[in-house]
Amino acid sequence: MRHCRMIEVEHLTKDYGTVVAVRDVSFSVGRGEVVGFLGPNGAGKSTTLRIISGFLGMTAGRVRIDGKDILEQSLEARRSIGYMPEAAPLYTEMRVGEYLRFRAALKRVPRRERAKAVDRAMRLARVTDMVDTLILHLSKGYRQRVGLADALVSSPPLLILDEPTAGLDPNQIREVRKVVRELGESHTILLSTHILSEVETTCDRALVIDRGRLIAEGTIEELRAMRRADSARLVLRDPERRAVPLLEVVEGVFKAHANAPGPDGLVQVELTFRPEIAQPGDVLESALSVLVGAGIGVREATPTKPTLEEVFAALTRGEAAPAEAAEAKA
Amino acid sequence: MSGFLAVYRREMLSLWVTPLAWVLLFVFLLIQGLSFYSLVVHISKVAEQSLDSGPVQAYFGQSIFLIISLLLVCPALTMRVFAEERRSGTIESLLTAPVTAAGVVAGKYLAAFTTYVLIWAPTLLYILILRNTGQVDWAVVGSSYIGVAGVGAGYLAVGTLMSSLTRSQLMALVLTVLVQFGLFILGIGEYIFDPGPLHELSTHVSVLSQMDELSKGIVDLRRLIYDATLVILPLFLTMRVVDSWRFD
Repeated sequence: MRHCRMIEVEHLTKDYGTVVAVRDVSFSVGRGEVVGFLGPNGAGKSTTLRIISGFLGMTAGRVRIDGKDILEQSLEARRSIGYMPEAAPLYTEMRVGEYLRFRAALKRVPRRERAKAVDRAMRLARVTDMVDTLILHLSKGYRQRVGLADALVSSPPLLILDEPTAGLDPNQIREVRKVVRELGESHTILLSTHILSEVETTCDRALVIDRGRLIAEGTIEELRAMRRADSARLVLRDPERRAVPLLEVVEGVFKAHANAPGPDGLVQVELTFRPEIAQPGDVLESALSVLVGAGIGVREATPTKPTLEEVFAALTRGEAAPAEAAEAKA
Repeated sequence: MSGFLAVYRREMLSLWVTPLAWVLLFVFLLIQGLSFYSLVVHISKVAEQSLDSGPVQAYFGQSIFLIISLLLVCPALTMRVFAEERRSGTIESLLTAPVTAAGVVAGKYLAAFTTYVLIWAPTLLYILILRNTGQVDWAVVGSSYIGVAGVGAGYLAVGTLMSSLTRSQLMALVLTVLVQFGLFILGIGEYIFDPGPLHELSTHVSVLSQMDELSKGIVDLRRLIYDATLVILPLFLTMRVVDSWRFD
């Protein structure tokens, strides 16, 4: 028997009439994965998540949740999902416990198990101390966690969280991320965010979407590797400024650029590797041995890996990879 | 009808923990109390009375205050049911739960209807007070309440539909009042138009004649079928509207 993936999205397109929000997006999420759905605001993240969770219909394509089609077997598919919409909208006139009991009933948790299910969800989302508080009086962080408890209350195998940390202060963000990481051990999670460090700290894998298109997909390491524009920052004792010509002839070095030496004779050098280089570490090693051989003092050597922010900025600008840029210049 | 019971119970809670239902109850009973009091005082001064013009008949059948208070109470009860969910975004949580449009619409509508019945319930006291001083024809009381329930059921269904068409509670209220008022005015055409199809139509939709007949114990099936149409058609359309949000 074919073991189906938790989420399968095939050629998903959503056309709002004047705007195409999602264009031909395909991806899948396996059981137990924690996947970050990454993109700038307005990229089509929320639209995609709304379609996957059955709130919006698609213009073309199909979505299957645990093998069930979101349109044709909508009720069964929706039962497998715990969805937290963006900004976690809640009924403010209800108390937290009341609201979660209502949500449990709505999600058809059997009557006898409801109290236990609500307790469990409140414990996991850490809102137990607010059980009798009116949602109206809750802070944004607590509301977000009540939304999370709601997503958890029917113990669904799949959690879809739309911007779970948006609008929270740093402490609350840390708290929510911690909860998400814990939940990731027992759930499949697809969460959207426009903050890259969030994906780095909580996800196994990321999907990058921009202007409705899926532009990159892979583990965090793979995404980083996509921008192997790696470079290194050196601090040298080089009052005669001999370093740059020496470095530029080292194999694998694309460019070296030195600042004017300071009064102490120290120079900062920005060393850029050729993008096709698979092991930038090797290049750095030979560059350093050349410098040391020439009697130039090496004070610091820091390889700079591009942050996800840089990868992301480059991907979403749609600019040519530095490899091509380099070739064009050469 | 998946989700019906949960939605129904939440709507009831939300109607009665917020001031809305209580304010409506207060205003409604104030108007009804004054109306009933003045009718009783008036009728007690009239020496000769025909059989079908007691205070119960006058209260249910001849009083314009009854219709006016329904024009206010019904739209106010239904204005928020969908408009507020869509304005605040809670509709997204609601519709991504394993519920059907039929379950959600029925739950919300029946909660509004139950509240409407509860708002009417205290008026039974008027009848009990009358019974202490004279005779009450319980069949007439029964048919009068059938009329009140029928008119309200239709108005509430129209209100539910209007609430699904806008994100603004105020707009839902205004639209509902417009439809109700339109039907009411059309009903008055009964006294204006010459006999003909237009007159027939006016008589058919006239709330005043409906209440007049029912307050005299005349239960005309055509009236009830009209009321049922005014419930089923808007609710069916509301279900279609809810389904259509998927393809906004």
